[in-house]
Amino acid sequence: MFYSTRSKLIVGFLAVSLLVGAVSLFVGSQLLYQSVVDEARTRVRLDLNAAREIYLTRIKSMKIALNITTLGFGFLESVKEWDTADLVFRLGRMAKHADLDFAGLTNSRGETVCRIGPDSIPNKRPQPANPIVKLSFERKAPVAGTVILSKEFLAAEDPELANQARIPLAPTANSPPTDEEEITSGMALAVAVPVLQGGEVLGFLYGGLLLNRNPTIVDTVKDTVFLNETYKGRTIGRASIFMKDIRISTNVMTHNEERATGTRVSPNVKAHVFDKGERWTERAFVLSDWYITSYEPIQDIYGDRIGILGVGVVEEKYVDIGRKALLIFILITAAGMFLAIVLGYFIAYKITDPVRRLIKASRQVSEGSLTPDIGPISKDETGVLQKTFKEMVVAMGRRRAASESKLIQSEKQASVGRLAAGVAHEINNPLTGVLTYTHMLLRRRDIAEDIRADLETIADATIRVRNIVKGLLDFSRQTEISPEITDVNHLVRSAISLMENQALVKGVTINLNQGEDLPNLTLDKSQFQSVLLNVLLNALDATEAGGKITVSTMMSLSSSDQGQKGVEISIADTGCGIPQEDLGKLFDPFFTTKEVGKGTGLGLAVSLGIVQRHGGNIKVQSEVGKGSTFFIWVPVEDRLNEHVE
Amino acid sequence: MNMSNKMKILVVDDEKIVVDSCRRVLAAEGFEVLFTNSADGALKILETETPVLLLVDVKMPGRDGISLMAELKETRPEIPIVVMSGYPTMETISEAAKKGAARFISKPFTPDELLDTVRRVMPEKETV
Repeated sequence: MFYSTRSKLIVGFLAVSLLVGAVSLFVGSQLLYQSVVDEARTRVRLDLNAAREIYLTRIKSMKIALNITTLGFGFLESVKEWDTADLVFRLGRMAKHADLDFAGLTNSRGETVCRIGPDSIPNKRPQPANPIVKLSFERKAPVAGTVILSKEFLAAEDPELANQARIPLAPTANSPPTDEEEITSGMALAVAVPVLQGGEVLGFLYGGLLLNRNPTIVDTVKDTVFLNETYKGRTIGRASIFMKDIRISTNVMTHNEERATGTRVSPNVKAHVFDKGERWTERAFVLSDWYITSYEPIQDIYGDRIGILGVGVVEEKYVDIGRKALLIFILITAAGMFLAIVLGYFIAYKITDPVRRLIKASRQVSEGSLTPDIGPISKDETGVLQKTFKEMVVAMGRRRAASESKLIQSEKQASVGRLAAGVAHEINNPLTGVLTYTHMLLRRRDIAEDIRADLETIADATIRVRNIVKGLLDFSRQTEISPEITDVNHLVRSAISLMENQALVKGVTINLNQGEDLPNLTLDKSQFQSVLLNVLLNALDATEAGGKITVSTMMSLSSSDQGQKGVEISIADTGCGIPQEDLGKLFDPFFTTKEVGKGTGLGLAVSLGIVQRHGGNIKVQSEVGKGSTFFIWVPVEDRLNEHVE
Repeated sequence: MNMSNKMKILVVDDEKIVVDSCRRVLAAEGFEVLFTNSADGALKILETETPVLLLVDVKMPGRDGISLMAELKETRPEIPIVVMSGYPTMETISEAAKKGAARFISKPFTPDELLDTVRRVMPEKETV
C-alpha cells in the first residue's frame, strides 16, 4: 500500500507543501517579527521624544510663571522695600498656579529673603547652597533646567520636601548591589530669574518642582503619549525618571502595585546612557517584564549628566502579534498540507483508477475474456493506454478468430487429404482397367457407331473421375513448398502470358498495373504460379466477352496482423460476381459454382492452402453483376519456416 | 516376327486389373508381357529372363517397388524401369527418380499414355 502510486503522490504533495510551508513560515515569521520589533522600537523612540518634550515644556512653563511674577504689578516695589508679607503672598500664589514645590526670593547676593513653606523668612546663617540661584547669579541671567538639590536645601525649603526626596534603595534583579541604602538628595526642575531694575539686580526669584516620588511628569507621559493604552489589563506604556541610575519618579509598578521608586536601571543601560551619554533603544528587562525601552540622559544646568529619562512599552504585545502571525502561518501550512493530502488522494484516484481497471481488464483477458471492462476512457495519457489496450484486445480477438478458422481449415484439409489418399489408391487401379478396356474396345473397327458413342462417354467419364481424384490428391498433397527468391511482377506477367490466348479467344482483355519497387518474395514459384492461374482462370470463366480483368501488384499492410508488411496481388474482373451466401464457402473443398464436369471444386481450396503456407491469405470482395476482386497477400519477411513442417 | 523374337516387358503389380490392362495394351502392340504380383516374383523371373523394360508399381505388399528398383539398379542396370503409382506424391516421384527410374506414370492411364511412356523409355535400336 505504501508503495502505491497514490501514497507516492500524496507524500510528494505533502513534501512540497511542507517545504513551502516551512520556508514561508521561517521567512515570514522572521520578517514579521523583525518588522514588528522595528515598529515597536520606532514607536518607543518617538515616545521618548514626546516624553522629553513634556519634560522640557514643564520647565518652560515654570520659567514663564516666574517671569510673569517678576513683571507683576507692584512686585518691584515690594522687592525694593522687602515687603516680605506681600512677597510671600505673591510667591504662594505663583507656586500654586505653576504647581511648584518650592519658591523663594533672594537678595542680590543670593541669600534667601523669603519663601513659601513653613520657614518663610529664614534667619539662620549660613544658608544651604542654592545651586540654581548661584548659577543665575554667576551668569546674571535667567537659568532653567534640572538640578540636584541637597538634603539640607530641601529641608530648609520645606522639611516635607526632604522627606519626599528620601527614597530607600530597593534590590533590583540584574543590577549589582550597592552599599548605599537610600538617596536623600533630590532631583528637581528649577528656574531662577534675576529681578532687575534699570540694570541693577535687586534679587533672584527661584522656584522648582521636586521630581523625587513626584509622578506628575511620568503620568502625563503615560496619559498623553501612551493614551493609557492597556494590554491584557496592564498599562502598556511606562515612563521613568532616574537620578543617576535610580528610579525616582516612575509608573513602573512592583508586584504590590506600588511605584517602583528606588529600583535601578540595568547596568547595560547605565553604561550606555549614563556613562557614555548615548540614546539607547533596546529590549530590556524591567523589574519583572521584558520591555522595549528607549533611554536618554538628563543633563543638569551645568551640562553634567545627572539622570536618565526612559520610556518603554511591554514587549509581550509585540511578541504576541508575532506569535499570532506565526500561528496563522502554521494554520495556513496545515491547511495546505490537508489540501495536499485531499488533492493528492483525488489526483491519485484519477490517475490510478483507470490503471487499476486496466489491470483488472488484463486479468480478465488472461482468463480468456475478449470483452473486458476497462471503464470510461480518460482524456490523458492513460486514455491512450486504455485505447491501445482496447485495440490490442480487439486485435487479439481478430487473430484468435483467424487462427481458429485457420485451424478449422487445416483440419478440413487434413481429413479431405486422408480421404483423398485412400480413395485415390483404391480407385486408380480399377480406373486403369476401365480406361484400358474402354480404349481397347474403341480401337476395334467392327463396332456400331452407337456402341462407339457409348464407349466414348464411358472413356470421358472415366477421365473426369481421374481428374477429380487427381484434384483430391493435389489438395491432400499440399505439404511442401520449395521456396526461392521471386520477382512478383515477373511471376504475375508469366501467369498472364499463359492466359492471354484463352482471354483473346473469349474476347476479354487483361490489364496489368505493376507496383514499383516491390521487394522480392521468397515463394514456391510453381505453386504460386498455379494459384495465380487458378484465380485468373476463375476470373476468365466469370467474365463475358468485352469484359476485362485487371491485375495489380502493390505494397500493403496485413489486415489481420498489424504492421506486417507484404505484397498484395489483386485480380479484379467485371464478371458475374459471387452471391453473398457463397462467399463464405468459396474456399471449401468441393465447393463449385461451375457446371458439373467443369470444375473439381478444389482449385481455390488448394490455392488458399498454398498461400497460407506462404504465411499469406486470400480475400474476396464481390458484388453480383459487377464483378469480383481477389486479393492475394503475401508477407515480405521470410516467415516460411513457421509454416513448413 | 515369331514369338521368341518378341521384346519382353515385365509388369510387376499386386493388382490383377492393372496387370491385365498392361498385358492387354502391350500385347496388342506386339510385346511379350511377363508379369508377377510381387518384387520377389520379379527377381525370380529376372533370373531367367531379360526383358527390355520393367513396369513396377510402387506400393505392394511385402517389398515395394522402390526397393526392388534399387536392387535392380545394382544387379541389372541395363534394364530401364518405369514406375507406376496410383498415389503419386512428390516424395514418391522424387524418390523414384533418385533411385534411377527412367520414367514415372501415374495410374490410371489410357493405353496411349502407357504406350507413349514405354516408347520414350525403350532403347532406340530396340524400338518396334
